[in-house]
Amino acid sequence: MSELSTLVQFFFSGLTSGSVYALIAVSLVIVYKVSLLICFAQGEFFVIGALTMVTLTSKGLPMPLAFVLSVLISTVIGALVERILIRPIRNSSVGNLIVMTIAISLALRGSALLVWGKESHILQPFSAGKPLHVLGATLQPQVLWIIGITVVVLFVIWFFFERTTLGVAMRACAENRLGASLMGISTQKAALLSWAWGSGIGALAGMAVAPLLFMQYSSGLMPMVKGFIAMSIGGLASIAGAVVAGYLLGIVEAYTIGLISSQFADTIVFTLLIIVLIFKPSGLFGATRSREV
Amino acid sequence: MKTLGRIWWIILLLFIVLYPPTLGGMSAYKSGIMIFVGIYIILAVSLDLLMGFAGQISVGHAAFFAIGAYVSGILTVKYGASPLVALIAGMALSGAVAWAVGRPLLALKEYYLAMATLALNEIIVTLIIGLQWLTGGASGLRDVPSFSVPGFSFDNHVHYYYLVWAMVLLVVASSLALVRSPFGRTLVAIHSDETAAKTFGIDCAAYKVRVYVFSAMYASLAGSLFAHYMGFLAPDDFGVLTSINILVMLYLGGIGTIWGPALGAVFLKLLPEFTYQFQDYELLLNGVILIVVLVFMPGGLFGILKSVAERVNARGSG
Repeated sequence: MSELSTLVQFFFSGLTSGSVYALIAVSLVIVYKVSLLICFAQGEFFVIGALTMVTLTSKGLPMPLAFVLSVLISTVIGALVERILIRPIRNSSVGNLIVMTIAISLALRGSALLVWGKESHILQPFSAGKPLHVLGATLQPQVLWIIGITVVVLFVIWFFFERTTLGVAMRACAENRLGASLMGISTQKAALLSWAWGSGIGALAGMAVAPLLFMQYSSGLMPMVKGFIAMSIGGLASIAGAVVAGYLLGIVEAYTIGLISSQFADTIVFTLLIIVLIFKPSGLFGATRSREV
Repeated sequence: MKTLGRIWWIILLLFIVLYPPTLGGMSAYKSGIMIFVGIYIILAVSLDLLMGFAGQISVGHAAFFAIGAYVSGILTVKYGASPLVALIAGMALSGAVAWAVGRPLLALKEYYLAMATLALNEIIVTLIIGLQWLTGGASGLRDVPSFSVPGFSFDNHVHYYYLVWAMVLLVVASSLALVRSPFGRTLVAIHSDETAAKTFGIDCAAYKVRVYVFSAMYASLAGSLFAHYMGFLAPDDFGVLTSINILVMLYLGGIGTIWGPALGAVFLKLLPEFTYQFQDYELLLNGVILIVVLVFMPGGLFGILKSVAERVNARGSG
């Protein structure tokens, strides 16, 4: 492989993981914007979506049907979690809410272990086809699916939050809870919907990337943390920022693994996170807003 | 109830001293279980100082557990240091790391702090995996010797049990003394309202860093004790999941009470002994316990005991 093709190869792997990080970051942002909560269980939906699809396809369901059903199932689980577990302690301290989402993550991961066991599962690619060759680098067709799904999801999110009454109402809750509730918007319903969106998008990310990974019950932690990194670099409450930061993170990570050190790539990424949190708490693209006390 | 009566201390001491010859039957296995319990009590109590009293959330406490364990392991295995020296070196390094990162890290709040501490935990674990020549990497560090002091080796599990529990008592007693001191009351003040504490002229950042250093050094002590007991160290034991496990102990027992987290550690570490045929359910059970505690019993096990004791007392005096 030539120099150039190696660099292109790293770029492709960066795009792949970047799409995943961007989707998860967006799912975190939607929940955060509407209900001011960062869900530490977001990675579990990534796993549940992917493994549900593995099970459904292995039962002989056609790919498109399994795809839609897996997203729906994850969305319903997300909404139920919000309704049953988050709402009762909604007015508790942030510390308790953080611990609650950690508890939910343990419970969901534990359930996934019981359903799917400890072994790794692999999903068949969405479409058959030989890898493409671009500038000497290999491109799996699944990568095109991942990027395509990301683009479609982002468009749907944009459409929902900008062009539908429900979406605009949810944005109103994000801007001003009291004001929104005075206008007759149910903030509870908005929080529920935001969880449904968040878990659905998290599941989509997992399903899209599952054919390239060995997915097991515990695979959710790292994507969640990377999604959070992208979210904080993007400025916590900005969907556009989260997307840009997600791709940036994926590409930086891919080149770090390829060119600097594969062993210490995560060390470097986590150090970057701490540096961003400390010096640029409003994100690299965020306005210089003062930190909330 | 904050001060445990003298009678309870005596009962507790008697139990600890008499456990190996009676319930433990002098067996290495049964002492071993209690060694684990003791190590986790130290971890839970040390996190309680930081989270329960100073109100600083940490999802990365296992970072210091790891530093203690690996400093002890590396110094004794690769450099032939005496375990006692290695233990002290581990505590010194943990304290130094906590001191160095404490100020900027603890200036963060809530989600930022949770994620930053989680990142710190991951940095330590990825370093352990990456620095293979030093730590043995993912395949682990073998042949860590038993703990010893000049003239005596704790290679018998019953002897080691007594050493670990002496440390447990030391950590619990010193933590209780710490939280009842003016220092501890200042931490509580910072926890309840940092801005108000500042207007009283309290240097909040300095206090938070100090309690972080304490907390880290105790966790490091637990790590060293763990290393010499296990004889083998692998990065899996020190990941974020371990940190979360300690968090569950804290909330299960009753955060901010020192005794509570200790109780939580006992409960959570003994539970698998009774449910070992349901090992796969452990993760789910941890999650469910945590959820139940958060929704229905915010005071944890210690809170329940406390209210029972108060009811009994009220009936007795009434």
